[in-house]
Amino acid sequence: MSHRFIPARRRILTAAAGGAVLGSAPAFMRPAFAQGKDFKIGFFIALSGPASLFGPTQRACAELAAEQINKAGGILGRPVALLFTDAGGPPAETAKSAVRLMLEDKVDLFIGSHDSATREANIATIKGKTPYIYSPVYEGGECSRNVFCLGETPPQQAQPSIEFLSKEKKAKTFHLIGDDYVWPRKVNEQVKKFVAQAGGKIVGEEYVPFGAPNKFEEAVTRIKGAKPDAVVQTLVGADNVNFNRTFAGFGLDKSIARLSLLLEENTLLGIGAENSANLYSCMGYFANSPAEGAKKFRAEYMAKYGDKAPQLATIGADCYSALNLAKALFDKAGGADAKKLAAASEGLTFTSASGPVTMHGRQVDKDMYLAECKGTHFEVLKTIKAVKSGTACKA
Amino acid sequence: MEPVLVAQALNALFGIAALALVALGLAVVLGLLGVLNLAHGELVMIGAYCAWVTQQNGWPFLAAVPLAIGVCGVLGWAVERWLVRPLYQRPFDTLVVTWGLSLLLRKCAEALFGLGYKSLTEPVGGTVDVLGATYPRYRLLLIAIAVVVLGALVAWYGRSRTGTRIKAVVGNPDLARALGIPVTRYASATFIVGTCLAGLAGVLIAPLVPVQPFMGIDHILMSFFVLVVGGLGSVGGLVTGSAVIGGANSIVSAISDSTGGYFSVLALAILFLWLRPRGIHAQR
Repeated sequence: MSHRFIPARRRILTAAAGGAVLGSAPAFMRPAFAQGKDFKIGFFIALSGPASLFGPTQRACAELAAEQINKAGGILGRPVALLFTDAGGPPAETAKSAVRLMLEDKVDLFIGSHDSATREANIATIKGKTPYIYSPVYEGGECSRNVFCLGETPPQQAQPSIEFLSKEKKAKTFHLIGDDYVWPRKVNEQVKKFVAQAGGKIVGEEYVPFGAPNKFEEAVTRIKGAKPDAVVQTLVGADNVNFNRTFAGFGLDKSIARLSLLLEENTLLGIGAENSANLYSCMGYFANSPAEGAKKFRAEYMAKYGDKAPQLATIGADCYSALNLAKALFDKAGGADAKKLAAASEGLTFTSASGPVTMHGRQVDKDMYLAECKGTHFEVLKTIKAVKSGTACKA
Repeated sequence: MEPVLVAQALNALFGIAALALVALGLAVVLGLLGVLNLAHGELVMIGAYCAWVTQQNGWPFLAAVPLAIGVCGVLGWAVERWLVRPLYQRPFDTLVVTWGLSLLLRKCAEALFGLGYKSLTEPVGGTVDVLGATYPRYRLLLIAIAVVVLGALVAWYGRSRTGTRIKAVVGNPDLARALGIPVTRYASATFIVGTCLAGLAGVLIAPLVPVQPFMGIDHILMSFFVLVVGGLGSVGGLVTGSAVIGGANSIVSAISDSTGGYFSVLALAILFLWLRPRGIHAQR
């Protein structure tokens, strides 16, 4: 088949990544699969651009899971091959790669750990022809055919944290700030609902351009003038770091509580110990999570990668969970038929990075951890058990 | 006056000062040598990493200044000698070469320090009251430093013998050479000054932003807009450009939101490229 229209660098990248995974498989397990065809997974992670910060962790976690799955007989009895593909560029570029993975590589499954804008482009392209597992924290409500979501939804993340802020921190007024794309806007629609339920009031809402050279002095000054009790942030990456550093630099950290809805270990390191007072995060996974499952996962991860292990965080750990879901899902369905997969997913229990979880309505109900930042570490204040996703897709 | 207004006015001032500091190195190289150094942002990034290394080793913050000047100076010398010098009078080729250099430097930073965000402690922390508004000390200090650096540069360039010679080299290199001015050496020195200024700007902004390999991209873009609006070849142009771009961004961001601020910057840059491509302080 002609490769004329495919940028060479992408082909090389994918081939190299796939090859590396196969090559790293222990010699004793190769003959066992000698007859079978690989179970190919098109794995979208950020290999370029600022989000590639998460790339090494995503890859390491995925490779750990693939190794374990292959030791346990692969998926549908076939060895798993991971075709890592870049999702760090514009959504349309990633969608083009999805077409190639479907037509040329004929992948059996897509797994994606990337932003929601890219997910929407991918789903519009794949159109349910190939199953798609979307793993990171997201805005909820994704019910497209043959799509399975793992991530924390606003009812899981925002609802308990806003209850915590209003009950225990006595927050009555809230200011919302986020990057301007689908995730922050959709999350904030629900945040407003939760704030109203808790008897609070939204006193400000603003968005900053996604991917632009943002500075936050003006926004922080505006917030200072409005004096809300709490700020709910849906900023990602460098914007998140920048905002929180500026916020504390202006001395607002003492008087105003901050809740960030995508705050993990890497971002907190950037924010720095002296800027993280009164800052909260609520996720289904933290690297130092007290859950037994998370401890086991961490021990296996450290055993495989040792001192060179990339920093564990929710983005990355989600890739481990996604592969375990893939194995449980396909093995239970006994094939790749969309209807069978959807039926098999209902009530399916599998091992996530935080321990066993159950899928309902093609979403995952899970334990949530509400943490306060202490320096550059998270201290889990409370565990909220088996929180429902709030999205129930038809089988 | 309302404390919020005072704070927003200081924000605008800070925005202009930070922008002028970051754009200064680019202005020197582009204005005097006609070289659009697309690796300028990466030199700012290297300066920021110098500040981070300094703080990691527990050295005093000011030690980052000679470190950044040393690293960026050597880099500037080598880049001018082997990449830029063969390509004077070939602006498009220089553009491609410095763009490639920016990718290389970013990858080098990634290999050395990783992609993770590095955070620095502000060397002068805390806030101070200005006319009723509480404002961070370090940002005020940065405004003062920008004024001093720009003032010193204006004074030196306008009055010193070297400044006059640089003007001669820029104005007519052949005639300058005939007068016995070592044109090649002056060009090299000017380029090095530009890269050192970029490194210095990196050191100064490092405590305020997440330090990471991609940070340079943001700065090259805004610096370029400053030069588009202000025009090339004079400190006046740089200050005007920073005031227009940084001021518009700050004021519109304060009144509406960041999207409005960024929109106004882009709109201004487009308007100037269209209607007054040589900028406000057009020289040649």
